[in-house]
Amino acid sequence: MTASPARILVIDDEPQIRRFLSIALRAEGYDVGLAASGREGFEELASRGADAVVLDLGLPDMDGSEVLAEIRRWSQVPVLVLSVRTAEKEKVALLDAGANDYLTKPFGMQELAARLRALLRAPRGASDSPLYEDGHLRVDLARRDVSVQGRPISLSRKEFALLALLMAHSDKVVTQRQLLGELWGPSHVDDTHYLRIAVGKLRAKLGEDASRPRYIETRPGVGLLFRSHQGPVG
Amino acid sequence: MNDERRSRADALLGTIGAPGGGQLKVFLGAAPGVGKTFAMLSAARELTRQGVDVAVGLVETHGRQETASLLDGLDVLARRRIEHRGKSIDEMDLDALLARRPQLALVDELAHRNAPGSRHPFRYQDIEELLDAGIDVYTTLNIQHLESLNDLVRQLTGVRVNETVPDAFLDRARDLVLVDLPPRELIERLRQGKVYAPDLASSALQRFFSPANLTALRDLAVQQIGDRVDADLREQQTAHGHVQVPVRRRVLVAIDGREGSDFLVRAGRKVAERRGAPWTAVFVDTGSGDLQRQRRVDEAFALASRLGGDTQTLHGGNIANALLAYGRQVAVSALLIGRSRERPFARMLNRTLSQQLLRKGAHLELIILSSPAARARARRELVSATARPGLQHELVQAGIASLLAVLLAWLAERWFRLEDLSLVFMTAVVVVGSRSRQGVAVATAAVCFLAYNFLFTEPYHTFYVHAREDVLTIGLFLVAALICGRLASRLRQQVVALRSANAVGEALRRLNRDLAAAADETGVLRAGARALRDALGAEVICLVRSESGIGPRATWSEPPGLQLSEGSLAAATWAIDHQQPAGRFTDTLQGTPWWCLPMVVEERCLGAVALRLPETDRGSGAMREGLAGLLVQEVAQALARVRLVDALEASRIQGETERLRAALLASVSHDLRSPLSAIIGSAESLTRFDEQLSSADRGELAAAILAEGRRLDRYIQNLLDMTRLGHGGLKLERDWIGLDEILGEAVQRLQRLFPQVPVRLSLDPGLPLVYVHPALVEQALFNILENAARFSPKGEAVDVLVSVAAGQVRIDVIDRGPGIPEAERSRIFDFFYSVERGDRDRHGTGLGLTICQGMIGAHGGSVEALPGPHDTGTRIRVTLPLPEAPAHPETE
Repeated sequence: MTASPARILVIDDEPQIRRFLSIALRAEGYDVGLAASGREGFEELASRGADAVVLDLGLPDMDGSEVLAEIRRWSQVPVLVLSVRTAEKEKVALLDAGANDYLTKPFGMQELAARLRALLRAPRGASDSPLYEDGHLRVDLARRDVSVQGRPISLSRKEFALLALLMAHSDKVVTQRQLLGELWGPSHVDDTHYLRIAVGKLRAKLGEDASRPRYIETRPGVGLLFRSHQGPVG
Repeated sequence: MNDERRSRADALLGTIGAPGGGQLKVFLGAAPGVGKTFAMLSAARELTRQGVDVAVGLVETHGRQETASLLDGLDVLARRRIEHRGKSIDEMDLDALLARRPQLALVDELAHRNAPGSRHPFRYQDIEELLDAGIDVYTTLNIQHLESLNDLVRQLTGVRVNETVPDAFLDRARDLVLVDLPPRELIERLRQGKVYAPDLASSALQRFFSPANLTALRDLAVQQIGDRVDADLREQQTAHGHVQVPVRRRVLVAIDGREGSDFLVRAGRKVAERRGAPWTAVFVDTGSGDLQRQRRVDEAFALASRLGGDTQTLHGGNIANALLAYGRQVAVSALLIGRSRERPFARMLNRTLSQQLLRKGAHLELIILSSPAARARARRELVSATARPGLQHELVQAGIASLLAVLLAWLAERWFRLEDLSLVFMTAVVVVGSRSRQGVAVATAAVCFLAYNFLFTEPYHTFYVHAREDVLTIGLFLVAALICGRLASRLRQQVVALRSANAVGEALRRLNRDLAAAADETGVLRAGARALRDALGAEVICLVRSESGIGPRATWSEPPGLQLSEGSLAAATWAIDHQQPAGRFTDTLQGTPWWCLPMVVEERCLGAVALRLPETDRGSGAMREGLAGLLVQEVAQALARVRLVDALEASRIQGETERLRAALLASVSHDLRSPLSAIIGSAESLTRFDEQLSSADRGELAAAILAEGRRLDRYIQNLLDMTRLGHGGLKLERDWIGLDEILGEAVQRLQRLFPQVPVRLSLDPGLPLVYVHPALVEQALFNILENAARFSPKGEAVDVLVSVAAGQVRIDVIDRGPGIPEAERSRIFDFFYSVERGDRDRHGTGLGLTICQGMIGAHGGSVEALPGPHDTGTRIRVTLPLPEAPAHPETE
């Protein structure tokens, strides 16, 4: 890996937020870029690049979701969206539009730092590494082998497909509709109980405690997220 | 939404004092143990909280803890002890309850039979007395105790139920509440010994509580409720005889390839659709080889296939047998047939298809339909039956009768005495007299006497009256003719009167039933328009007087989409302004085809109903006016009622809004300002005295900013949630989710805020999924957890226990904090109490719990505060209803 610190681009129109984020993120050891509008954000991202973007949805010049769509046209940089508390539908729409994660204002600095670490750590593209191994869970996507603490477990076709799909988007919230559409087909995108039952079984087989999940987290009303515990890909 | 509105309307009506005795609310269940008493007590507690005076006349807890705990805090009247044959039996003390005069009395087990020596033999009679005394009553009932279902229940379950309640009593109920529990869970409760079934022998118990029986009983209960709501459904169930198993089974539509087969197919589909049942169109081929008929059958089959039904051709000599055999084979619940052509001889011999089916197919529900053409024909016949037949017709009849008499007498003359011959003529006179008007009868008497005199008495062939007996004969003939005529015409009048009285009564009954279910103006007008259409065969437009005075506004028409022409609108406007009928049949603006009747209540005109009767309508004017007038008056009354309710509701909301505004203003000024001043003060100190401050002081000031900032955030969050909840205007986006997942998320959120408070989760294994708005329930649980964490002493854990019971999931959040004084327990959820107290003191909980109750309540659940275990701390209990599990997906 590179020795230089990761660069975070903060796009937010509130000077106070920019100021405290810049101080706090620098203290965390990141290199921080700042932009006060969507346009500035594009320029900054295009000219100097970033390893992750923190995007506020309420920008003066354009809507946050437009900024997100614009970024996604040419970059796969992980984007963490900051929003005031909104309806779940809006969050789902953002995630479907390509956001990797979201955080509701007001948020704690610890929380933000943890999410950013996860985004930066996540290996991009599952096909690069068909093997997941963190000392507890081992998943060989190519050979469809899953084992927990060295003991192989057998997953049904749907359970494995669900796990694989979540792992393909490690540390990113995958919306319910997306999961249902890909696993059960477009006519079942509203049959959320399919998903709930499959997740329940998968969690049980992975030895997860649903109330303190280690791998598969629930975002009520929004979707699911696979939390990777694997070190940086080496 | 509608239900909610209705119950609110009921509550309002209750407060203004409904005329004509108390209101009855029945909690109906499919079997013992589904939680009727529990539901009743919960509802009563809620009312108590709202300040309604509730007394418990008698509630059986059967030793169930959860039920008994609901009795806490309710006024439970002592029972009366009755000695009977050396045994003492506890019964409800009716006199004490009447003397106590609560607004609402709770009386469990409606079907109970009182001990000998009580005032009434049955408990429902006690309840009648309470209602008549103006006391509202809540009671509970299992569906098998309903009298009309008694046989059916025995058929289904093999258990005879001795205590029954007449159906008419249930009609008094203003509300029926269905308490439902999936059979699977009921059996589970039974296995755990949680169900107490008093009136069933233990050997029968096993049989009674089989899943099949419970499903069928549940179906019955649902049907009973549905019947009261869905008027059409009830009409179709009038043929309801002994349905062997009244669950969703196939509907058969028998067609015969004559006119009306298409109609039958369509009607059959409607019936089946309403029941959610599959259906089949059947034709029985008796080998007639009629090609045209076959063509019609093919067409009808094609239509059936298009409409989603199956088709089947059967072969056999006897249509009824073939149908019944097929019915047994495919499990049929109802058989729809067309009315067969009238064949008098077949009817006499009980050989028509419907008669055969009625006799042999007693286990089936038989629906006999007339095609529209046949119906029109029958209606014409009915009209001619009630109207008098023409004079000419009667004269011809009389002539024929007289001729026949002469002929018979002539034949009989050889064998009988002369005096006997007069009896033949007398018979003719009586027959004619009973069927014709008086004049014709008298004329017949005269003709018969003359014929008798001319042909059979001496001197023959003269009209000379010879003997005194002959004079007597004339006299008798005339008297018989007069008496018979009078009797017959009175009979006919009675038939006509009865028929119209029946029609009026039936129309009123149906209208009232529909009006009772109507919750708003549109509902009332719709029910009224339909009733008028059905009763008079007319097209109907309901007009409501507009407040702005621009003239009336049409709000509902039957059939939909009708418009009034300008002239007719003028008639309607006149009718409203003058509170008198106008248009057709009246003296005002009679040129228009519409007959406009004003809706007047207490000298105020609310609007008008415009009717366009069929051109051919020649029914009696008085009857038409009477019926239409009655129906319109009913609609007007109902309209006034819903408007009054709306007005009361609006003024209540207005009052609450004012109070809310005042409370919020007071709260905002305090709860926003105090954290803000702490933040500003701390931050200012940090910037100004940075150098002088010790690092410990600096840390303390920063911590204060953080804590007060969070407090501010929480407060604003609560305000936002309140807005989100609105006052009843919340829209739920339900979704299946595991409670463990929701709780996990809430606990994680809590740990971020209160990392020092340990949370111990204890979940029942195999928790079912819940069907809720995930984010709302998560927020509600978070509020409770946060509240618990704030009051937890250092190092003490917050316990979360989740368990499933009685179709509900129960979440207990237990802290070991100072606890809530008993007097305040029910008040901490009260909005105004919370707002006025704010979160300034140690006990204050802010809006969090009020919001929690709003969110859980929106899901049909409840939140209550109980003392913690060993009387330390607080136990907040959330109860959510569990839906039936959804269809199992394919996960392999």
